[in-house]
Amino acid sequence: MNRRKFIEVTGAAIAGGNLMAQSNGNGQVPMRALGRTGVQVSALGVGGYHLGSASSQDEAKRIVDTAIDAGINFFDNAWDYHDGQSEEWMGAALKGKRDRVVLMTKVCTHGRDKQTAMRMLEESLHRLGTDHLDVWQIHEVIYYDDPDLIFRPNGAAEALVQAKKDGKVRFVGFTGHKDPAIHLKMLAQGFPFDTVQMPLNCLDASFRSFEQQVLPEANRRGIAVLGMKSLGGSGEMVRHGAVTAADALRYAMSLPVATTISGMENLNVLQQNLEIARGFHPLSAQEMQRIRDQVRNEASDGRYELFKTTKKYDGDVGREQHGYPTAEELPL
Amino acid sequence: MAIPLRPFGRHDVKVSALAFGGHHLGDAEDQATAIRLVREAVDGGITFFDNCWEYHRGKAEEWMGTGLKGIRDRVFLMTKVCTHGRDKALALRMLDESLRRLQTDHLDLWQVHGVSFENDPDLFIRPNGAAEALAHAKKEGKVRFVGFTGHKDPEIHLKMLATGFPFDSVQMPLNPFDATFRSFEQKVLPELNRRGIAALGMKPLQGHGDAIKKGALTAEEGLRYAMSLPVTTTITGIDKLEILHQNLKLAQNFQPMSAAEMQALRDRCKQYAADGRFELYKVSLKFDNPEARLSHNFPLDMQQVEVKEMLGASQNDGSPYPKFSESKS
Repeated sequence: MNRRKFIEVTGAAIAGGNLMAQSNGNGQVPMRALGRTGVQVSALGVGGYHLGSASSQDEAKRIVDTAIDAGINFFDNAWDYHDGQSEEWMGAALKGKRDRVVLMTKVCTHGRDKQTAMRMLEESLHRLGTDHLDVWQIHEVIYYDDPDLIFRPNGAAEALVQAKKDGKVRFVGFTGHKDPAIHLKMLAQGFPFDTVQMPLNCLDASFRSFEQQVLPEANRRGIAVLGMKSLGGSGEMVRHGAVTAADALRYAMSLPVATTISGMENLNVLQQNLEIARGFHPLSAQEMQRIRDQVRNEASDGRYELFKTTKKYDGDVGREQHGYPTAEELPL
Repeated sequence: MAIPLRPFGRHDVKVSALAFGGHHLGDAEDQATAIRLVREAVDGGITFFDNCWEYHRGKAEEWMGTGLKGIRDRVFLMTKVCTHGRDKALALRMLDESLRRLQTDHLDLWQVHGVSFENDPDLFIRPNGAAEALAHAKKEGKVRFVGFTGHKDPEIHLKMLATGFPFDSVQMPLNPFDATFRSFEQKVLPELNRRGIAALGMKPLQGHGDAIKKGALTAEEGLRYAMSLPVTTTITGIDKLEILHQNLKLAQNFQPMSAAEMQALRDRCKQYAADGRFELYKVSLKFDNPEARLSHNFPLDMQQVEVKEMLGASQNDGSPYPKFSESKS
């Protein structure tokens, strides 16, 4: 996927929007409750995958520094992003500032056992240069048998409990981009998740919808919701003209979520996002409905939410662990 | 031995537990073979015949109509209408064309084809949409029963049911893979049973039989599983005499699987089912019907190999329904 091209389009789209209309005057990025944890997080979060795509480690550090100075305190990552580079760069950039942020990373057992998960945790802590995580989530819960694999005896769920007990992580959760039914199956296990991450955007609202099916359930249970893929993963919905990047981000941030994690691989994109996040006021119900209606037809076949409808966003390691052929080998 | 007959939902009508799929009939070697397939199927005890306005650009209906000449009254004849969200008038014109091709003055069942997209229920139930055509055709006596079909997502089926339209039947993919992946069996079938709507199973071998070729299960296991569910019938594609004979033999000697056998098969298929790669009709845009994509104004990638194959197979040149284009609203 071509993230570079998306960034350019995003920039142009945002530059054309009326950004200041959303300002409430005090210019702060709003803080919101992280579910029932008692922790406050910024309504915009820094996505770890894109941080590892920055042009250099120095650029990554500038992104992290600027974000923190602007009031962003939520940082996302995953054990397998860029083979560890995302965690290493984030860890280096957070040196001396670790305590000012809510740091999350994800474990990539893909159905493997507790021991694998605990080993990955140690590696993540080491790369991130910290002795504890604020949030540790199970990554890429996207296959129909994942809930069974995660909750089997000696599965990853036991690692979450152990890590919490050991004081290595404060809160635990899971994430996935595929199907609300799989998320609901995870929630139905009765495990005390603190957070759950999911794709939330204006197209999702009317296609295989996490917003409709999972978000209310998580809210009901007091589980903090972390939104992602506000522009479709790689800006597909913006690139093809379904919606502007500004409207798309505003839509996602207006939902009842703790934060919206956005990929920002250079300072430009960060600044554009900050223009929206600073002094952000949620859109009205009517404005949200207008955006949903505007994109309804494009949403209806899922072509701009490729993480739901193709294998393009499914990691090869996860597929391999499940005994599946790689995405490239499939006619999808 | 005769093929078991089962009630058509809440109605006092019985149909064979195995049904003849119309799409594959159009794949038969020639018309003579197709006629022979139809007649031997009827003699073997199959009474339910499936078809669709757009299968092979009408050839499947024409061949079936010719095959059924003189024995129309011995079968329960279904075809589908392919408005893909378009209006009532178009639907009724398609109905007349289907009746003419099938050489009959009425259908036993007329279903809305290809309900595959999230906005299809809205398009169906809108004023002047296909729902009105179903009601109208029933009132006119041109069709006895009405329903819909789709292969994409159980949630879309449930949305169709939630429109409140009085459907007599609903068609959906039912097989051991579906049982644990985005499952019509789990989500839709119980709802139909509760409402007394006839459940019509399709894709007992997941459409192309890929999992069978890869050795995950046998064709007989797949078909027996599907037929053992609480459905009215299971529609299966028949394009060759040897396939017909195999299916007839299985259906005539059909013994339902026990609950334990069914669970064992689900468990065996589960790990293959969990990413949906053996049910491509659910997971991939590339397996969307190009006709349906066109009439929804969804883009087609004309360079995509699969699209070229599909357009070639349906002799579509990339414009929706050339013959009916003037009625596009």
